[in-house]
Amino acid sequence: MTNFFAVRTKSGAISFQFSKKTTIIISCLSLTAVFVFILSLSAGSSFISPLAVAGHVFGYGDGSYDFVLNTLRFPRALMAFMVGAALGVAGLILQGIIRNPLASPDIIGITSGASVGAIIFIVYLMGTVSLNWLPLSAISGAAVSAVFIYLLSWKKGVTPIRLVLMGIGVAALMKAFVTMMLVMSEAAITTKSYLWLTGSLYGATWMDVYAMLPWLLVFIPVTFLYTRTMNVSELGDDVAKSLGINIELQRFMLLFISVVLAGSAVAFAGGIEFIGLIAPHIGRMIVGRSFAALVPVSALIGGIMVMLADIVARTAFLPLDIPAGVFTAAIGAPFFIYLLYRNRNN
Amino acid sequence: MQANTYAFSRKSLFSLMALLLSMLLFLAGCGNDSAGGAEETKTEPKAEEETAREITHAMGTTTIEGTPQKIVTLYQGATDVAVEMGVKPAGAVESWLQQPVYEYLKDDMEGVTIVGQETQPNLEEIAKLEPDLIIASKLRHEEIYDQLSQIAPTVAHETVFDFKGTVEMMGEAMNQQDKADELLAAWDERVSDFQGKIQEKMGDKWPMHVSVLNFREDHARIYVTGFAGSILTELGFEGPKNITDESLDVVKLTDKESISQMNADVFYMFMEDNEAVKKTHDEWTSHPLWANLDAVKADQVYTVDEIIWNMGGGIRAANLMLDDIYNRFELEK
Repeated sequence: MTNFFAVRTKSGAISFQFSKKTTIIISCLSLTAVFVFILSLSAGSSFISPLAVAGHVFGYGDGSYDFVLNTLRFPRALMAFMVGAALGVAGLILQGIIRNPLASPDIIGITSGASVGAIIFIVYLMGTVSLNWLPLSAISGAAVSAVFIYLLSWKKGVTPIRLVLMGIGVAALMKAFVTMMLVMSEAAITTKSYLWLTGSLYGATWMDVYAMLPWLLVFIPVTFLYTRTMNVSELGDDVAKSLGINIELQRFMLLFISVVLAGSAVAFAGGIEFIGLIAPHIGRMIVGRSFAALVPVSALIGGIMVMLADIVARTAFLPLDIPAGVFTAAIGAPFFIYLLYRNRNN
Repeated sequence: MQANTYAFSRKSLFSLMALLLSMLLFLAGCGNDSAGGAEETKTEPKAEEETAREITHAMGTTTIEGTPQKIVTLYQGATDVAVEMGVKPAGAVESWLQQPVYEYLKDDMEGVTIVGQETQPNLEEIAKLEPDLIIASKLRHEEIYDQLSQIAPTVAHETVFDFKGTVEMMGEAMNQQDKADELLAAWDERVSDFQGKIQEKMGDKWPMHVSVLNFREDHARIYVTGFAGSILTELGFEGPKNITDESLDVVKLTDKESISQMNADVFYMFMEDNEAVKKTHDEWTSHPLWANLDAVKADQVYTVDEIIWNMGGGIRAANLMLDDIYNRFELEK
């Protein structure tokens, strides 16, 4: 009894419990995230000692790091964390709805929808319309493809398996479209598009941070409203229904949250892959299957992974600044294979 | 029991909200801080004030004072032009081939700091150099233009291959209009010299149709405009015989049956040096339709240096390309 404590509002809309162990793990992860965050402020073309960084943050700096820290590293590190957190939670939700550990925003078509939106922008609008509108185009792409997938899977309701199959189909279609656009356009545009598809936090600004933050602050907490649904739907649609859950509505809402989170991440950082797949898995390995615990844990792990990938991207091949997406894939791919290998008998 | 849970939950809900709120405040604090810092660096006045010039370019209008000494060039053509104007850049982006600097520029680029790739130049490296002018391209650097402007006044050209536009823009920005005019006048003179001599040599065979061909791993391209295409047009060459749509910059051929699109009196081709590309080249050139092309029949197919003809993108590369054409037609320079 004493190993758990419950969080519950009066109406019971939000209700979940944490074990003590989970609380400790979340605290540890938060500390790690802070540590990695400071590291990403320190690391770069020239190393700034963590003490100097702390001094700067708390207002004791002499102003010599204003540009490098305030304009370049701070927004970039924050963006890295937010993008990772959004992708982690989006992946967690999808894996929950679909009850398939291999589901993630990049596999079931949300990321590819965003890619189409972004590539259309780069090919047809770049140069005449300010690049600031690119995220909007990407997020609309994600939304359109999600609606498309949802409608195609609808047959007196949506079953997880149809969602996955339609998602994979739509993803393939979108990828074909992206390839076609890449082949048809000229070299400079293709270069730009590839860069976007790889996913990069290069050039992140405070404006991006402010544009991304509201999505996270609204939709990650909202996820907690659905802890009961998620925990129960792990047991299958029939059990969930018999326990009085409006499975169709809840699934739609969860899908919506997932699309918004993944879409906003992809809109600002491009096609960063594998985080949505892997962060929830690592989360499950350390805190088990409680959805309420998995939300913050997946967010933290996703954030830490993208921050790490970006630190490597910025510093490993100086003076080159390489897209972070290269390294998330490099961390992600072996892990993905390991997962398949471990589940080979199931 | 129930009541107990309520009491506890209320408290933890409050503390959760308090935590969120404090994080928000922290972030907001950081944000304000940065905005203040950014403005400070922007309004810092420069010592010289004699010749403040307003330069209008692809990303807006920039005021530049005096003669910038430390220049950072963020695309290949700008690096080429800076060197040709006699100004060694303090920093430049890595070349596409022969990294970090093209052979044809190497002698004049000793000790230049490489600031990353043209597609993602390293902003911290640029800031470290404390330049007083940055030459960028809207095509590549639109999203980082504001950050570049915080480092130093930044002028941006629309594209990366318009060598004349680059010379004009850099002449103005670097306070070297005379030098820029001189380079462009010399170029114009060479162009009319070439036109006179080729007319004399070729007689009624002039103007010739030309195709600039590029073989890739999985397809072939005809460059109609771009760097090489626009220079050839200026010299008086006509474009590919079967391509009448003048709006096309690059024609991509993915099917060998469209080989006839390439048809012209002379071919200049360049390609990357790797097996896959060589295979494409061999396949296309051994296709029966290839042998029907006028340039092939007249034995006028030449492989040219990709760096000079396509990647350099500056006025020195343009002159070297013109030298190459003089040589190929055995004209006296």
